Amino acid sequence: MALSRIASLQDLDKVKKEVLAEQTKNASKKQILLCSGAGCIASGSLRLKKALEEKIKEEKLDVEVVGTGCLGPCAQGPVIVINPDQTFYEDLKPEDARDIVDEHLRKGKPVERLAPRDIKDNKPVLKQGDMDFFKKQIKIVLRNCGRIDPLKIGDYIAQDGYQALAKALTSMTPEEVIKQVKKSGLRGRGGAGFSTGLKWELTRVAPGDVKYAICNADEGDPGAFMDRSVLEGDPHSVLEGMVIAAYAIGASRGFVYVRAEYPLAVSRLTKAIEHARESGLLGTNILGSGFNFDLEIRMGSGAFVCGEETALMRSIEGKRGEPRPRPPFPAQKGLWDKPSLLNNVETYANIPVILFKGADWYASYGTAASKGTKVFALAGAIKNTGLVEVPIGTPLGELIYDIGGGIKGGKKYKAAQIGGPSGGCIPKEYLNVPLDYKTLEELGAIMGSGGLIVMDEDSCMVDVARFFLDFVQDESCGKCVPCRVGTKRMLEILERICAGQGEEGDVEKLVRLGLQIKETSLCGLGQTAPNPVLSTIRHFRKEYDQHIREGHCEAGVCPSLVRASCQTACPAGVDVPGFVSLVGEKRYAEALKLHRERNPFAAVCARVCFHTCEDKCRRATLDDSVSIRGIKRFMVDQEVVIQVPEVRHNEQNAARKIAIVGAGPAGLSCAYFLARLGYRPTVFEAEPRPGGMLVQTIPAYRLPRETLAREIRMIEQLGVTIETNKRLGKDFTLQEFRDKKYDAIFVGIGAPESFGLGLMGEDADGVVMALPFLREYNIRGSVPVGKKVVVVGGGNAAIDAARTALRLGAEIVTVLYRRSQEEMPAYAEEVREAIYEGIKLMPLTHPVEILKTAGGKVSGVRCMTMKLGDYDRSGRRSPTADGADQFTLEADQVIGAIGQTLQAGKLFELKDAEIKMTQNKFIYADSVTGQTSVPGIFAGGDAASGPWSVVAAIGAGERAAVGIDQFLTGEEHAFWREEKVVDTDFDPDVDPVPYPRESVRSIAVEKRKHNFDEVELSWNENVAQRQAKRCLRCDYGKTVTRRGHK
Amino acid sequence: MPKIFINNKEITVDAGATVLDAANQVGIHIPTLCHYEGKAPIGACRVCLVEVEGAKTLLASCSTPVAEGMKIHTNNHRVREARRTVVELLLSEHESSCQYCTRSNDCELKAIASHLGIEDIHYKGEKPEAHIDDSTPALVRDSSKCIKCRRCVTVCGEVQGVGALFPQKRGYKTMIGPAFAMDLAHVACVQCGQCAAICPVGAIREKNDIDKVWAALEDKTKHVVVQTAPAIRAALGECFGYPPGTLVTGKMVTALRRVGFHAVFDTNFTADLTIIEEGTELLMRLKNALVEKQSVALPMFTSCSPGWIKFAEYYYPEFLPNLSSCKSPQQMFGAVAKTYYAAKKNIKPEDMVVVSIMPCTAKKFEAERPEMNSSGVQDVDFVLTTRELGFMIESAGIDFKTLEDGEMDSPLGISTGAADIFANTGGVMEAALRTVYEIVTGREFPAADLRLAPVEGLKGIKDASLVIKGAVPEWSFLENVEVRVAVAHGLSNAKRLLESIKEGKAQYHFIEIMTCPGGCIGGGGQPRYTNDSVRMARINAIYKEDAGKKLRKSHANPQVKALYDDFLKKPLGEKSHHLLHTHYKEREKV
Repeated sequence: MALSRIASLQDLDKVKKEVLAEQTKNASKKQILLCSGAGCIASGSLRLKKALEEKIKEEKLDVEVVGTGCLGPCAQGPVIVINPDQTFYEDLKPEDARDIVDEHLRKGKPVERLAPRDIKDNKPVLKQGDMDFFKKQIKIVLRNCGRIDPLKIGDYIAQDGYQALAKALTSMTPEEVIKQVKKSGLRGRGGAGFSTGLKWELTRVAPGDVKYAICNADEGDPGAFMDRSVLEGDPHSVLEGMVIAAYAIGASRGFVYVRAEYPLAVSRLTKAIEHARESGLLGTNILGSGFNFDLEIRMGSGAFVCGEETALMRSIEGKRGEPRPRPPFPAQKGLWDKPSLLNNVETYANIPVILFKGADWYASYGTAASKGTKVFALAGAIKNTGLVEVPIGTPLGELIYDIGGGIKGGKKYKAAQIGGPSGGCIPKEYLNVPLDYKTLEELGAIMGSGGLIVMDEDSCMVDVARFFLDFVQDESCGKCVPCRVGTKRMLEILERICAGQGEEGDVEKLVRLGLQIKETSLCGLGQTAPNPVLSTIRHFRKEYDQHIREGHCEAGVCPSLVRASCQTACPAGVDVPGFVSLVGEKRYAEALKLHRERNPFAAVCARVCFHTCEDKCRRATLDDSVSIRGIKRFMVDQEVVIQVPEVRHNEQNAARKIAIVGAGPAGLSCAYFLARLGYRPTVFEAEPRPGGMLVQTIPAYRLPRETLAREIRMIEQLGVTIETNKRLGKDFTLQEFRDKKYDAIFVGIGAPESFGLGLMGEDADGVVMALPFLREYNIRGSVPVGKKVVVVGGGNAAIDAARTALRLGAEIVTVLYRRSQEEMPAYAEEVREAIYEGIKLMPLTHPVEILKTAGGKVSGVRCMTMKLGDYDRSGRRSPTADGADQFTLEADQVIGAIGQTLQAGKLFELKDAEIKMTQNKFIYADSVTGQTSVPGIFAGGDAASGPWSVVAAIGAGERAAVGIDQFLTGEEHAFWREEKVVDTDFDPDVDPVPYPRESVRSIAVEKRKHNFDEVELSWNENVAQRQAKRCLRCDYGKTVTRRGHK
Repeated sequence: MPKIFINNKEITVDAGATVLDAANQVGIHIPTLCHYEGKAPIGACRVCLVEVEGAKTLLASCSTPVAEGMKIHTNNHRVREARRTVVELLLSEHESSCQYCTRSNDCELKAIASHLGIEDIHYKGEKPEAHIDDSTPALVRDSSKCIKCRRCVTVCGEVQGVGALFPQKRGYKTMIGPAFAMDLAHVACVQCGQCAAICPVGAIREKNDIDKVWAALEDKTKHVVVQTAPAIRAALGECFGYPPGTLVTGKMVTALRRVGFHAVFDTNFTADLTIIEEGTELLMRLKNALVEKQSVALPMFTSCSPGWIKFAEYYYPEFLPNLSSCKSPQQMFGAVAKTYYAAKKNIKPEDMVVVSIMPCTAKKFEAERPEMNSSGVQDVDFVLTTRELGFMIESAGIDFKTLEDGEMDSPLGISTGAADIFANTGGVMEAALRTVYEIVTGREFPAADLRLAPVEGLKGIKDASLVIKGAVPEWSFLENVEVRVAVAHGLSNAKRLLESIKEGKAQYHFIEIMTCPGGCIGGGGQPRYTNDSVRMARINAIYKEDAGKKLRKSHANPQVKALYDDFLKKPLGEKSHHLLHTHYKEREKV
């Protein structure tokens, strides 16, 4: 159908009225808006469209299916909205067409199974407007995307399209237009954030008859697709913005420079240009104003550097897209040396609304310094990947959690890369910062064009930096030296680090070179290229150091450093695929031996380990992680006579005097590994029984005492002497050891003191701390327990204390935690078991005061209900007391469990040296050797790291043992670190076995509630075998740089 | 005139000047590697960075215009560190075979590294893959030494309008070279060698033919003669530390004898011969056009410059009929030497070796053109550039500065001042007019000192016209004819001139085109570094040589007369046609 020519404002209003009238007529008619953005098309929206149309035809219904631009939640595509009821359906397949037509369209019954689910209660959310994803967005740029048919100019006009142009041409001078744009505070959305109005003004005042208005649609950031979606979903908004800009600067010709890789955008834009031209909204005498402007599309072949304005213009000229020095700026000398205006797609799409609704209206969104909204392309490890638009200044956390739905697969947020390869990463400490130009820059990132890649704990930040640098090195135009050679040299250093070949000083070199490249490069690409590296170094320096010094990639990503991600995740470095596959072949003794190569406490860890190995298990990407701890439990239960590991006798070492302070997991494993090298260390333990936290606080129902004792006896058999009831500071001092010429000392005294609650009434009779409470029961055998017990805290100590109290006869045990349950640091399975056993968990509850009787005894706890507020530096929403309800819980005992600490005091006083402490008041110990600031004195476990896990303490003990050996002999002899060749069968070509993950069985609640019998049960052999076979053998065929070595 | 501060010193500079210009103006040297005089700043090398107070990053002084009150620091810690980093990065990429690189004495990168006090390279790594392109007879490119400064790209594309060299690929893989990484021989390169002259390092150089010449000189069966082009005498001194514009004709002759050439001749001799042939050709064309009313290709273009010839063959085949059919003086010399002179000395052409000393790399190509064998063998055997000769003299252990002056040998060493000025833009035109005017009118060319000011100097395109008055009867058809001439140097200027002729905007009878800016004195084989002030100094020296000659008109050269009398008989005669004239063919661009 030929389009009618719109030659005046009256014509425009007429078309608008006609389309609106038509739409009103059909307002009650059902209509399906089907997302036809490139994302949904890729996931099959066109097939769905066909299926819907066929079904509708079959049913003889009068329902139109309208293909729209991107609706936003691309990961859930294909998506549709059914109007007028605004029902939103997602993740559709052609087969769903039947239900949609039969149920929804014919019977008017929404199909709940196709609706998105609420994050909190998992209930279906039927209305688009009720979805968190849409609720929190403000759509200005994307105002029409997903609402109109991008191929119909009438649809656009009906939404007040081209009204702003009419207004500008008929009632505003170019200067007035520029004034409005300036007043709106709009800044260029392409990356640099230069004031749009000012740019227009500079181009307007530049001398010259011929000027150009150019649109940058050469979107190149990895993971960014804002511009594409606007061009696909609402091309006229960009055209209208450009015509207005051309009028303002005095241009009669324009170009849209768009990536050739965006065929759909190109075809929709081409159509839009044709329609606009046919309607007279492009070309000569636009809207009867005498103003002429026309434009054409130029396709770029996807060079990232062509996003740089001078390079882009060269490319339009048909030359190699390469930046040139500025000045002269394009406003003076741009395309073909004529004054030229370049804005990006999103910037132009803002213009019509700004002019139509006014600069003040626009400026009411955003922050004081940054106005309006910004479109972000959410990508990466986030649930709702897709396109969102929020007011500038929205906190990152809100974008990620409320709109983005949080991190996929229950993983932890690690960082978000904002601004693509020119940007930087924002770690969890800054989730609460507002997304605006200034704040982002202060954090070492940039707003950029709006690419936002979310990374979880499985991202290695060194690898991320390497990836982005590899990208810019490939995309550098190669013209200026710093960008061409400098980024190559940086990339080489990063590649070396990722390959385990990093050297001391590499990080400093990267920083120095990175800063020089920023300072010396010709264009924005080079000047920002080092940002991802500098920003990851700034926020994740530790990971660089781990790669370089320990040859360890925490995230399990760097292939040269990672044999299997489970093994990398294990703080003790246990060969997980090795022992699992040996169990799979019923070679239990070999499996156990392999385990104890790196971790003597196999039976202990089979019960209490927090199994980071399972969190990193790659099988989870297929179905669910392998139940590694369950396999381990079965394995250790097969041991009849405890095995003794390989010990290399050495008379010289045996003669050396080594003192180990503290018989916890750190001290004992340090002793174990030293003994295997022929040393005969003595362990001094303050309490009457060795084991540290394992025996003092972990209750017997989790870790039977004999299990622990057996493994400690095994260590003793290797030549380790344990002296109990020897307390540091009371029975001996470190200085005495030095005076007695001990060759080396290891300090593994844990973090045995508790933080006080800091509440009014804390001095009441009946208030105890969790650690002394547990210690007293576990060591002395009894402890006073109330009937109504309130435990304050959310860690393992809180849960252990609660369950112990329950077992000792408490009638009601309530755990108060100020954050939400998901955020409890206690192991989720422990929390779950506690709830099974009848413990009442009150999350988001904060004690205000401990109430006491006249006699000074605890009578209750006054509490208040908390709400989740802003994100704090731990990356979690911090609880706030805004408008909190207060209430009182009755209690006769309050157990505080809000954290542990180490009170060094005079414990470490030395005559001639000082043991350095960390900021958190724990002992500073080298991450590779465990050595403290005093040569010959080593430390590890909770005393050095702060309260952490058993297996981390075991790992620290091992490192310190190697460190001590190296300190004494000058060499490393840690033979157990050689990867053992495991000769189990594995056929990489065979499909993985289909068995599911099995959870560990427990005894019935009624049978365990009142005693300290072990709660967990072992599997039978079949279950264990099946589970072991689930391992994907990520280690197959791989050798890696030895951990801790280069 | 803005006031600015450079290193806290207040100075006033021209508005529109760059910081680099301003610094030069007050005697502050800022190193650069990519700066190209007179062209838009490239901004690639980042060596000329300076600190401008208030700017976020350091700024390239070559591309930063001065502004009122600007406070500039050219030598503080920040600037030194940045320059050092940039040069270290360059060195980390560069194949630093300095001990045996042809540029070890005048390498700009080496000099800058030394000025910056670089003692170690902190950032080492992979070097780019090396590719050596020695596909042409004229030039050798070594990608492993290329620092991607793009001066060659600028000179080839913007100055010469050829555009045979481009940046290609991206990132660290970026390389400079002909399209699709082809070799030079397979693209439309005119082999002018301007790239080799401007390259700051050893990445592009002339193909070295010195050893072949040494071998010929040591071959007892060969008679080895040498010819030196007019432009050599005004530039060779620079190889030995003389300032540009020092004439060293006499010392050059002595040096050539010491090197061992059996006869030292002058291309000037055949330059005079060219004027006779070419002048006659021009008059014949005019006669055919004006009297015989034949369709004749006019304007006629000079054909001395082999780069220009090849350029026309590639890009303007439609003008090939307009090119004078005269061979260049170098090739006329080879043909005459191996016939006329050889017969006189009773030497077989195949036992004679003709060596040319040329300011030009394209001459190496020209000598190898298959048609250049009128003597039955290749007329010119080896071509050395001025730079190669300088090196040869030095490596022969000759202390150039102490040499006494020598005289060229007869007969092919005798020349007039008209031949000398073949070396510079406008010179061939002047020389031709000196002779043609006199032939037509019987009177000496009327300009002061026989020079035609409008066609001299470094303006890209120059033109002049004169009305013929008092023509002798034979040329009476030229009476009152306004003869229009034009001169262009630098092929981009030639291109502009040709386009305006094609568009009918300009009409001329005779046009001189020289490939290189300034003419042969600015040739691709001349000592480095050539800029406009060097060009002018050399041009002035050439005119001095001309002025000092007793004979200043080609037709006055007695040995040329003798050549006609004894051997050629008459201009454009059959022998001339065979020995001195040639033809051209269209070339495929790729």
